[in-house]
Amino acid sequence: MTDVAAVYPEIIVTIVACLVLVGDTALGRRRATAALPAITVAGLALAIVATVTVVPLGHYFRGFVVVDAFTGFFRAVFLLLAIFATLVSPEYLERRRIPAGEYYATICFSTVGAMTIALSSDLITLFVGLELMTIPIYVLAGIQRGDRYSNEAALKYFLLGAFSSALLLYGFAWLYGVTRATDFAAIASYLVANGVASGPTIVALALVTVGLGFKAAVVPFHQWTPDAYEGAPTPATAFMSVGPKAAAFAAILRVLVGALGPLAVDWSIVIAVLAAVTMTAGNVVALAQGNTKRMLAYSSIAHTGYILAAVAASRAGVSAGAAVLFYLFAYGLMNLGAFACLLYVDLDGTRGASLDELNGFARREPLGALAFAVFLVSLTGIPPTIGFIAKFYVIQPVLDAGLAWLAVVIALNAVLAAFYYLRVVVRMYMYDPEGAVPRLVSPRLLSTSLGVASAAVVILGIVPNSLLEWAQRAAQPLVR
Amino acid sequence: MTHLLTLLIVIPLAGLVPLVIFRRDDRAVKQVAITTTAVELALSLWMLAQFHIGEADFQLVERIDWLPSLGIRYFVGVDGISVLLVPMTTLLTFISVLYSSGGAIKMRLAEYMTAFLLLEVGMVGVFLALDLFLFYVFFELMLVPMYLIIGIWGGPRRIYSTLKFVLFTLAGSLLMLVGIVAVYLASGDAGSRTLSLPELIEARGSFSADFQFWVFLAFGLAFAIKLPMVPFHTWLPDAHVEAPTAGSIVLAGVLLKAGGYGFLRFALPLFPFGVQAWLPAMILLSVVAILYGAVVSAVQKDLKKLVAYSSVAHMGFVTLGIFVLNQQGGVGAVLQMLNHGFVTGALFLFVGIQYEKTHRRMIADLGGLANIWPVYTTLFGVFVLASLGLPGLNGFVGEFLVLLGTFRFPGVPLGGLFWGPLAAIGVILAAVYLLWMFQRVMYGPIRESYRLLPDMTRLELACAIPLLVLTVVLGVVPQPFIAIIEPSLDRVVRLATDPGLILMAAR
Repeated sequence: MTDVAAVYPEIIVTIVACLVLVGDTALGRRRATAALPAITVAGLALAIVATVTVVPLGHYFRGFVVVDAFTGFFRAVFLLLAIFATLVSPEYLERRRIPAGEYYATICFSTVGAMTIALSSDLITLFVGLELMTIPIYVLAGIQRGDRYSNEAALKYFLLGAFSSALLLYGFAWLYGVTRATDFAAIASYLVANGVASGPTIVALALVTVGLGFKAAVVPFHQWTPDAYEGAPTPATAFMSVGPKAAAFAAILRVLVGALGPLAVDWSIVIAVLAAVTMTAGNVVALAQGNTKRMLAYSSIAHTGYILAAVAASRAGVSAGAAVLFYLFAYGLMNLGAFACLLYVDLDGTRGASLDELNGFARREPLGALAFAVFLVSLTGIPPTIGFIAKFYVIQPVLDAGLAWLAVVIALNAVLAAFYYLRVVVRMYMYDPEGAVPRLVSPRLLSTSLGVASAAVVILGIVPNSLLEWAQRAAQPLVR
Repeated sequence: MTHLLTLLIVIPLAGLVPLVIFRRDDRAVKQVAITTTAVELALSLWMLAQFHIGEADFQLVERIDWLPSLGIRYFVGVDGISVLLVPMTTLLTFISVLYSSGGAIKMRLAEYMTAFLLLEVGMVGVFLALDLFLFYVFFELMLVPMYLIIGIWGGPRRIYSTLKFVLFTLAGSLLMLVGIVAVYLASGDAGSRTLSLPELIEARGSFSADFQFWVFLAFGLAFAIKLPMVPFHTWLPDAHVEAPTAGSIVLAGVLLKAGGYGFLRFALPLFPFGVQAWLPAMILLSVVAILYGAVVSAVQKDLKKLVAYSSVAHMGFVTLGIFVLNQQGGVGAVLQMLNHGFVTGALFLFVGIQYEKTHRRMIADLGGLANIWPVYTTLFGVFVLASLGLPGLNGFVGEFLVLLGTFRFPGVPLGGLFWGPLAAIGVILAAVYLLWMFQRVMYGPIRESYRLLPDMTRLELACAIPLLVLTVVLGVVPQPFIAIIEPSLDRVVRLATDPGLILMAAR
């Protein structure tokens, strides 16, 4: 019975997803549009309450599931992101006639998958979680059935996602072959006991790194990202860019830092180089984009690089893990927010906003523009925002691990990134609206949730202490 | 324990509340902004009155744990170096806001004043912060409002200029952030790390030579770009030319000082070996800035650009004074920062006033203005003379002390007897380009279309008079100001030239 109690939050979210599906058909169209988001948000909030766990920390389901501070942190992050994503969606879904029931249910199912990754203490649980997280996202990308770009996005994402899952699974098989274990702790202790870099171990390590690299959109395994992000309906993109990325990093931390931690000497320099390449490539390509949605897609790749830098610095101890967690939280908030701001201009017939469409946005929608500016300033890493604290917090373990060059690369990249983020601010505040601009709908729910989120970005940039301490506690289980 | 300094940081923020409430009413917006900056000015003068002259250490200190898990504090205080820069900041902000309320800003007034109040928070905070993290936060906080001020209310090429300004500054400051983190990690073992200045000064004995070399470079780049030193100055003329008048006043008057102040407050005391290692480069670049700034000023066709390049030359004196590492030079550098704030602020104000009336900034389009504007000509003349270093006005005192310090500078390479005369040539060149400019703008035949333009209004006079008074007072009786600066500056110079530490690091 305590086994079941350990996964109450996941059970709640699953039930919510089913309720939404049933409600969709039972309630009828008119009432469903209002009721479904309400049910989803209420259910997810209940799940957050349930994460304040009733069971003692430890292993459950015969060691397949672990509940620790790390799990708690990620559960809360995934649920908060799902709530945020739900709140910004309703008006858009109605405008574009996207089936709401399926949409919210998919978000919930994907969140269950992500939470399962956070729970996992075994390769098998982790893989199940990863698939449960990703498959709904394929659906989400293609949920706009009539739109060919949405179809393209779903197909590309699905093919590459399936490919990467296969690679990852193959890597897991090698790992099992070498260590005869699927349990993270057992794998780690085998690697400690039996020396490290043998041929098969390296193969396993490479396959796992590539597989997880695909999921997190690390360059050069990122090619699916821009098309998938651009083609998917914008609220789905907002969710895709943060939820699955956070989940992928949860997996990276569990597998690379947790299970394969003893091999850190072998992988950390590779990861450091990947991080540098990822952030630089993401930023350089983002510079050349004229479409804001695509630009944000590349910018999210750049942020993957910053987070990966902290992973590479894992020999610095708790502070590295804590930096990853804190950055993921900050990134989730500001990136989801930034994509959601595009919902104002994402009208029928447009695919994401070209930069020109944002001209004079501050006049047309002052609050939306302010929120967008706050998210962009935070993504740039300028105080007093959470993005700045996150950057400061990432640079610290990177330097501590002796990767001074990587810290300098991060700093220079932040300047590159400032250029294209601020270009959007320029368009919004310093240009006049051009000619006949489409009339903007002014969705109240969207504005409210963006207002709250941008306030949170600033407030957590000024008083981040409790969040920092939470991240530090949550990173503790990663260190042996 | 008083909360005076925190109040100084909070008041502009508090002013935002009524500003947002009355945002639709331009008159109310002006009143709120003027009142807020006036209260801030009064409070900063009250702070100056509370300051005990003759003590080297920090006063009015406030210290609260901010991020206890990282050992980062909200830590503010003033010493003889910063205590004068804060009232300078609040005065220049007040004047900027006052001038802007006169009709120079024709659109989005509430947003404009919001940007100015936020800017004031950053500027005041930079001079008060004694924790490197806090300093960095304020240092960056100055960036976004100024970016908006240039980008929204600036001239035709404002967007290019403002992006250039931001990217230059950001490139420097982000490298400094890496430097700050490096200092943080070097300050102790996990758990006892800190970024508070006094603790860092205690811990600096353990900073190795290599470490100091690189970290000084990281800090130095940030400050050198902000200051700006040649060859990082190229953003400055663009930013000044496009910025609205009030933006230029604050940019030249205050933002540049953050660079010079950063050297004195953090780079010098923390990295004595780094200072020694980079000393030849800094001296060379300072003298180059003085000469290059002067020569380039002389050939400018645009009045505003001329004043902007003269800033480069004047800030060269600041860095020269700082890096000759003696008391005269240092005191001269701090005075030069104040003088430059008042005088160059005033010059930009006068260029702005003139532009508002004639809508011309090219020197060739002007001329003969003395015939119609006697008051304007007199006041502008005084500031031009102060800027070129006429004895009896403030510019002379700072530059003279810097030159004195330079002549007594024994350091590598070549010594003060080489660098001193070179820098002195800069003073002569300043007289050349400033007087030549004055002659071309003020005398000669006047265009007919200017005949009916009115002289300075009462509002414009109200903006100029305080600066005029300070220019004269600082020139005639500099001693009280020197007495305020001297003890703290001595301390900085001693910390920066501690021979034991320099040797220890070198070993």
